[in-house]
Amino acid sequence: MSLGLVNAELFKVRTTSIWWILGIVLVPLYAASVLANWATFATTDPATTEGASDVQAEQVQAALEPVNVATTMYTSGQYFGILIVVLLAAIIVTSEFFHLTATTTFLTTPRRESVILAKFGAAIVVGLIVWLLTTVINLIVVPPIMSNLDVPTQLGSADVWRAIGLNALAFVLWAILGVGVGVLIRSQIAATLVLAISYVVGSAALQLVFFLLSQWVAEWINKLQVLVPTTASQLMISGTDLPGNPPRWVGAAVLIGYAAITGIIGTLITKRRDIS
Amino acid sequence: MSTDEIVVEHLTKQYKRLRAVDDLSFSVRTGRVTGFLGPNGAGKTTTLRMLLGLVTPTSGQATFGGTKYVDLHDPLKHVGAVLEASSAHRGRTGRNHLRMICRAAGLPDSRADEVLTIVGLTPAANRKFKGYSLGMRQRLGIAAALLGDPRVLILDEPANGLDPEGIRWMRDLLKALASEGRTVLVSSHLLGEMQLLADDVVIVAAGKLIRQGPVDEVLGTMGTGAHVRVRTPQAAELKAALSELNATATEQSDGSLMVVGAEAAAIGHAAFTASVELHELATERGDLEQVFLQLTAGKAGIR
Repeated sequence: MSLGLVNAELFKVRTTSIWWILGIVLVPLYAASVLANWATFATTDPATTEGASDVQAEQVQAALEPVNVATTMYTSGQYFGILIVVLLAAIIVTSEFFHLTATTTFLTTPRRESVILAKFGAAIVVGLIVWLLTTVINLIVVPPIMSNLDVPTQLGSADVWRAIGLNALAFVLWAILGVGVGVLIRSQIAATLVLAISYVVGSAALQLVFFLLSQWVAEWINKLQVLVPTTASQLMISGTDLPGNPPRWVGAAVLIGYAAITGIIGTLITKRRDIS
Repeated sequence: MSTDEIVVEHLTKQYKRLRAVDDLSFSVRTGRVTGFLGPNGAGKTTTLRMLLGLVTPTSGQATFGGTKYVDLHDPLKHVGAVLEASSAHRGRTGRNHLRMICRAAGLPDSRADEVLTIVGLTPAANRKFKGYSLGMRQRLGIAAALLGDPRVLILDEPANGLDPEGIRWMRDLLKALASEGRTVLVSSHLLGEMQLLADDVVIVAAGKLIRQGPVDEVLGTMGTGAHVRVRTPQAAELKAALSELNATATEQSDGSLMVVGAEAAAIGHAAFTASVELHELATERGDLEQVFLQLTAGKAGIR
């Protein structure tokens, strides 16, 4: 990957208004996430698990263990941060076609795989910047919240730092996924809509489908839920292995799989397609 | 063969139903402006895009000094191109548009300001692209093509959207670039403009080559080479005098005579010695538009 080309791609992002528009959108969404996480842990009482199945009760118990509270709190903003990153990653590709700059780009760099690789690189950098910003703010605002919840801050815990690290991996993998989808769906409006809808509504809808299938067809189908990308990234960053869930590396493997497939197919298509 | 010569060999592009370019071969010489002419839908743009590696040919190839565009090491330092349907991001300034290309091409940012000066866009450098007029957009496109100081320039309909002053500026710029030994290939359907600008022409229609060669030669072979327009109240006497020079005069609908086969000076002398009064005596170059329409007759139109 040519660093000069990654630099050029980042320059493209920087010289239009899209980055600060999405940045402004992210601020209230991030604040809401922190407050929502806080509220969840402040109001959930481990005693009120009557009527829930054994597994669900165990999950609630496990989620309320201090280490899992900490991993959730220190990765606050992941949900919306990744949404913004995945949209920006797709726009890095689709804007070339939307604004008819693809001709100039591919005249400058006729080796198209280099351009796509640079876009992957730029999207990864953008993902890591958003991860870094949310993480730094989390490290500032979360410790007071933790003391409010009467749990230790746990900044010395390896589990917490591993969750923060895996959170970075989630941002990177979703950034790659976004570029891949942008290459597959060249229409800017279609690509961003498909991503946003499937990210926000799609995973909930799929979870419902999986729930119904597991109830009416077979219990094991529920285990395939991890194939839903959002579920996979949730699983990947959870602090410890939660009862009834697949191990965390499965979540990472699923996300890497999606990122690799969209990335490779997208690059191959771009190489063959006529630019006109 | 010069290293900057463009050679197109048996280039073909077959879309599902349409053969947009059909076994097209021609070459473009260095140090000259070559006009690439054809009716709308003749395959000009597709040909230029295949030349630049943006569209993959069904068969055949196009090379710059023997090398395909995608294999050029620093393509912008060899070839600069201004293509139709190419644009800039509406929200990006002209200067940043050029800097973006500089960064991807490994050129210093300072080149952006140099080419802005060349095309006269410096006052608008920090304005966003959406505020540019059509003429300014064309100038920005030319600026981008000049960034790498290329030996070869390819322009698709560069005069579109330019005002008369802009067209004249473009003509002078392209002639100057060619006179520095660069290869310039310009597609257009503005034939009057091409006649002023081009040294050579390549005429295509329906994806096929119709004629290639120096402008004068192409005009000459079609029998519309240089002729002299004469106006006189004594047409019969003048015709008699001219027949001794083996020149033929044909009456035109506007009452003038078109004389072929004699220079203006010889005609003037013949009229003088025969005491024929002349009201107009003018040498006229062949008309590219007329030749073009004859050559492409029946081949234009929607395919």
